[in-house]
Amino acid sequence: MAVSDTLVRWRYRLVPDHLLGEILTKRWVDNAIPVLILVIVVAVFGSLIPDFFGAASIANLMRQWGEFALIVLALMIVMVAGGIDLSVGSTFALGNIVALALLSVGEWPVWAVVAATLACGAAVGLVNGLLVGYLRLRAFLTTLVTLIIVRAVVDMLLLKYSVAIAGSFVDSDLWYWFGEGGILGVPFSVVVIAVLAIATHLVLSRTRAGWHVLAVGGSRRSAHNVGIPVRRVICMTYVASGTLAALAGVLLASRLGGAGADTGVGLEIAALTAAVLGGNSLGGGRGSAAKAIIGSITVMIMVNGLVRLGVVRGGSSLMLGLVLLAAVAIDVRWLKNRLKFLNKVYVSPTYAELPAAPSTEGASPYALNDRLRSVEAIGLDRIDGPEDVILDGDDNIYVGNRTGDIVRFLAPDYARQEVFAHVGGRPLGMAFAKDGALLVCIGGMGLYRVGMDRSIEKLTDETNRSWFSIIDDSRLRLADDLDIAPDGRVFFSEATIRYEMHEWPVDCLESRGNGRIICFDPNTGTTRTVLKNLVFPNGICVMHDGQSFLFAETWTCRVSRYWFEGPKKGTVEPVIADLPGYPDNINRASDGTYWLALVGMRTPAFDLALKMPGFRKRMARRIAPDEWMYPNINTGCVLRFDEAGRIIETLWDLGGESHPMITSMREHKGHLYIGGILNNRVGRLTLEGVDTSWTGQASYWGGQSSDGAKP
Amino acid sequence: MGMGRLSQEQIVFGLALLLCVGFALALPGFLTTNNVLNLVRSVSILGILGVAMGLVVIGRGIDLSLVALMAVSVAWALHMVGTGMPLPQALIIALAFSLFIGAVNGWLVAYVEIPAIFATLAMGTLIYGFGRYFLLDLDVVYMPEAARHILWLGQGTLFGVPVPIFLFAAVCLGGHLFLRYAKSGRYLRAVGDNMLAARITGVPARPVVVLQYVLSSLIGFMAGIVTAASVASMNTRLAISTYVYDVILVVVLGGIGLSGGRGGIRNVIVGTLLIGVLLNGMTILDIQYTVQNVIKGAILLTAIVIDTILNPRDEQTAQQGDI
Amino acid sequence: MRRILTGLLAAGLAACAGSALAQGIDDPTRAPYYDSFAGKRVAYIPVAMGFDLTEGWAAGLKEALEPLGMSIDIRDPNWSTDAGAQALTSLITEKPDVIVVHNPDVQSYARLLKRAEEAGIYVVQVNMRSAYSTDVFVGADYVGMGEQIGQRMVDKCAPANGGSGKVAITQGVLTAAASIYQMQGITNVLSKHPEIQLVSNQAADWDSTKAKNIAATVIQQHPDLCMITGFWDVMDVGTAAAIKESGKPVYLLTQGGGNRMVCDGLANGTYSESVVYFVPGQARDMANMIKYLLQQKQPAGATKTTLFTKLDFLTKDNMTAASCWDMPTKG
Repeated sequence: MAVSDTLVRWRYRLVPDHLLGEILTKRWVDNAIPVLILVIVVAVFGSLIPDFFGAASIANLMRQWGEFALIVLALMIVMVAGGIDLSVGSTFALGNIVALALLSVGEWPVWAVVAATLACGAAVGLVNGLLVGYLRLRAFLTTLVTLIIVRAVVDMLLLKYSVAIAGSFVDSDLWYWFGEGGILGVPFSVVVIAVLAIATHLVLSRTRAGWHVLAVGGSRRSAHNVGIPVRRVICMTYVASGTLAALAGVLLASRLGGAGADTGVGLEIAALTAAVLGGNSLGGGRGSAAKAIIGSITVMIMVNGLVRLGVVRGGSSLMLGLVLLAAVAIDVRWLKNRLKFLNKVYVSPTYAELPAAPSTEGASPYALNDRLRSVEAIGLDRIDGPEDVILDGDDNIYVGNRTGDIVRFLAPDYARQEVFAHVGGRPLGMAFAKDGALLVCIGGMGLYRVGMDRSIEKLTDETNRSWFSIIDDSRLRLADDLDIAPDGRVFFSEATIRYEMHEWPVDCLESRGNGRIICFDPNTGTTRTVLKNLVFPNGICVMHDGQSFLFAETWTCRVSRYWFEGPKKGTVEPVIADLPGYPDNINRASDGTYWLALVGMRTPAFDLALKMPGFRKRMARRIAPDEWMYPNINTGCVLRFDEAGRIIETLWDLGGESHPMITSMREHKGHLYIGGILNNRVGRLTLEGVDTSWTGQASYWGGQSSDGAKP
Repeated sequence: MGMGRLSQEQIVFGLALLLCVGFALALPGFLTTNNVLNLVRSVSILGILGVAMGLVVIGRGIDLSLVALMAVSVAWALHMVGTGMPLPQALIIALAFSLFIGAVNGWLVAYVEIPAIFATLAMGTLIYGFGRYFLLDLDVVYMPEAARHILWLGQGTLFGVPVPIFLFAAVCLGGHLFLRYAKSGRYLRAVGDNMLAARITGVPARPVVVLQYVLSSLIGFMAGIVTAASVASMNTRLAISTYVYDVILVVVLGGIGLSGGRGGIRNVIVGTLLIGVLLNGMTILDIQYTVQNVIKGAILLTAIVIDTILNPRDEQTAQQGDI
Repeated sequence: MRRILTGLLAAGLAACAGSALAQGIDDPTRAPYYDSFAGKRVAYIPVAMGFDLTEGWAAGLKEALEPLGMSIDIRDPNWSTDAGAQALTSLITEKPDVIVVHNPDVQSYARLLKRAEEAGIYVVQVNMRSAYSTDVFVGADYVGMGEQIGQRMVDKCAPANGGSGKVAITQGVLTAAASIYQMQGITNVLSKHPEIQLVSNQAADWDSTKAKNIAATVIQQHPDLCMITGFWDVMDVGTAAAIKESGKPVYLLTQGGGNRMVCDGLANGTYSESVVYFVPGQARDMANMIKYLLQQKQPAGATKTTLFTKLDFLTKDNMTAASCWDMPTKG
């Protein structure tokens, strides 16, 4: 038993199961299959063709690829906006013949030739754009017809000029440099495509115009309804496509200098193949310059490789068809099942063994009682989910509300309530700073400061990114509880970096160290992660010595102490290692001890399940989330402990009649105020034999409190 | 489509009539019986292929491998006859091959869920490559002496009317009856109109999709036989030509929407007629081939534009992903 | 096992030859002759494999050169000029000794052919001349061919010779260079003969079905049509079918590589006449020129040689069993 347990423990410690799910959440994983196909294609042809990786071979391949990639990029821009441009091949041929005719027959200067040719391509694109964008013709059909018309125009030009072009010689080094030269050894066409691909990427991902294009492709109707000029956007994508195709034509004209009858014939099919192989979806919304590049390289290598292998008689068609089919099939299945698969594998439980739960019977310090029975309810049914409760110097109560507000109950009778501030997210832990401002952790948003003048200010919503984390952990997902050190530094816990606010119970199924404690220093404005890999760090409380804080890790049922100052700076020591339930917030008590809320109690079944990660994994994969086994978070208690971890008293509410769920408690002037994240009230319990003038603020900031009393 | 508005079919029919009248007035030999028969005969193969494509398009698919499959399977049949196999046996083997590929197309679209345009595009390339690599030595396969019997299908006449016209009519009739009266024909339209709704109401959506590609390969095979018979040979280069675009144009021009569910065989006939009249008139006028293409393109564009103006789609009604 | 046996046998023979050497006098040109070919590489880029011309050339080259220890490497662009250009570009870096190229048009490969010669590769062009002249061109003189065809039209159809004077032309694609040159030749002749009326000059895209439709319409419009000339025998099968269906005595002059199918067609009346450039002859010309170049060892591009192929006008009457050649059969 013990041996197998150890094996399981090591198995889950060594194999980072959770990374799979995290990788799958990344957007770039979309490109995984296209890249894989590319790698396979390169490997196969690289090994079959001798000298495939030779410098000359690569240079030739790249130069030809540059032109092709331009076409694919052109098609991608149209496709991502939900259209299709079959006329790219003809426009390419048009660009080629126009450039040659102007240069050798018209004898124009090179710059004018390039400009005129691009204008020509743009004009073809404009025709497509006007028809498809403004007149809203069907893109497939329209560009099919323009393909035929432009091809016929090219044929006419060929008949007229091809003999003249064949007979003339262009005397311009610049012109030949386009097709044969390069920059630092990189062929010119590759430089062009590199610049344009980066530009396209930046435009699509960083500018308003690019977002419009993506929005139109994602949902034309919604784009129209939010006021995006859909027609103009579509029109412009065709203009861009036509221009790029003509540019490719110019490069070809410079490289080969010939106007062939079949230039660009069937190119639209090859380009479409490349675009789809790269992962750009037909119908719009999914596409990027990187995808176009990947797809074009794959197709280029395949076509070129098959020709070089000397495959005759349709063998290359056969291969091309097979690869296209296989690639698209894999891509389609992948797209369809990726989220399904992600949902199955994202929850990745690990081995977590808890120490034996202490008894709650008899002489145990946790023994059951009914001391919370007499608790009185404030704001009953007028508040939803006060995770934390805090009181100011004037005895007003501040609580978070599920509606994204901080609600204030006014002293002395707390019958009146008002929205103190609307913060927009779920307020969790709260603390008063030295200057009287309320600092609050807002789930999903970060650490905020609410001044007494109700001004809301973001303190921080990001921390340093860990180098080897796959998930971007620089953003704060679930800032939970905070406390403030004497020098003003704010220490706050982020419960988990793998789940959103509303999924927090799922983190327990994993019981991995997904959380961390972060320090925000208002003096420098910096945010740094202090402690990592904590198992759902929750409550945090700066100790009376002002040099350390206590923090609770919910799923491991323990409370630890961390020194941020003094001789033991940087060390962590366990304080209570075997709680009978799941700890939540910790706060100071008036006699120098600490209050701790247990949000729920451990159950033997769940404790056992924690030692069986395979069981929990199967559960997460096979059955619906509603049927999963969760930790009990329905019955809890409040306890008080001292610095050494001794439990001094425990307050229970048997049956949860007066105060069902507890996530926090705050002592204030002889009363204990109790909050719960799923509660509809704030509880108020009168404490016996305590200093009735003690307030938290005074304890932290001394004379700041209104009555100035000291414990 | 409102009553007061013209459908695309009516527009195209009107255009065809207009051209007919124009040519009849301008060209003395245009409206003779012989020329009209010649006109229809010249587009009958295109029309048969149009019916095949039309069925698929009504089922919200598209079959870009139609021409490739037709060329390769028929060329293979001729090749087998040339090597000494009896004609019926060769035809049956080639037909079985054709139907099998059709089923593979359908399986790829319905079960693997590859978009039809890619599945059939890739299959077209693949079939051509397969045929040229494994089945045939040369691009062009001539009709061997042993297969002379089927020449009648392409070159013969019945009551003074060329046989291909009868075949075209028969395929149209068959297609029409299938769509109108056969249960699977109605299913096909339902699947094309709204696949999810059809599936919920109990239509075996995937088998119907497979069926439409099998049907298209069957009709395509017939068109191939007529082609081979009419020119006594089969050129597999048809597979890599743009012929299949012409077929799509005929279908869509006639008014069968690429978004599926709408249109019928009548639309194919109308589209075919317009193309036939155009080609015939321009050949008589001896217009240069490239200019013909420009004129053809311009008229096609006009038809689409008129349709869009009369039956506008806008951002609210357009279906997402419908290109 | 078999290989070992062959090896043993060869060794034995060599031993015998060694002993026999003393008795005979060896031809002093033999060794250099064979040495200049051993291990040489010839690359062949047709516009596509799979039709009579290109298959015939490939077979002829293999037959002539492979026994000399040369290797023939076929790159098949399958009708794609772009793929052909890629193949040529790659070959320039691979450096074979000779490239045999069948140009799709006059221009597309011109620049690349120049680069190939600069890289020291002999370039042989076949049947379609590029704008850039290389070491050798073997092929038909298309302008001359057009003029001869034009002359045949005049001979057959001029009213003076009993014809109606009406002729039609079915080209492949208008932009194919061979078509352009031939049209030039035909026009040269017809411009001097106004009595010949060109009633139709259409392109059928090399597609026999389109050729058939065009021919049917033209015959329909001009029942007294005298002659149709088509630019490729494969395509003109369709023209022939249209003529047959119309029942009119239209003279069909076609052209092509002259394989067995053409003679069959002439014999059974499909074609009336065919202009033929004898493909095996062209292949032999190429092979000889390659042998010449490899023995001369002069730098590539040093000399430019043109060999125009003799054109035969074959009819049912003048053809013999040797007029046509058989397609190489493949394993």
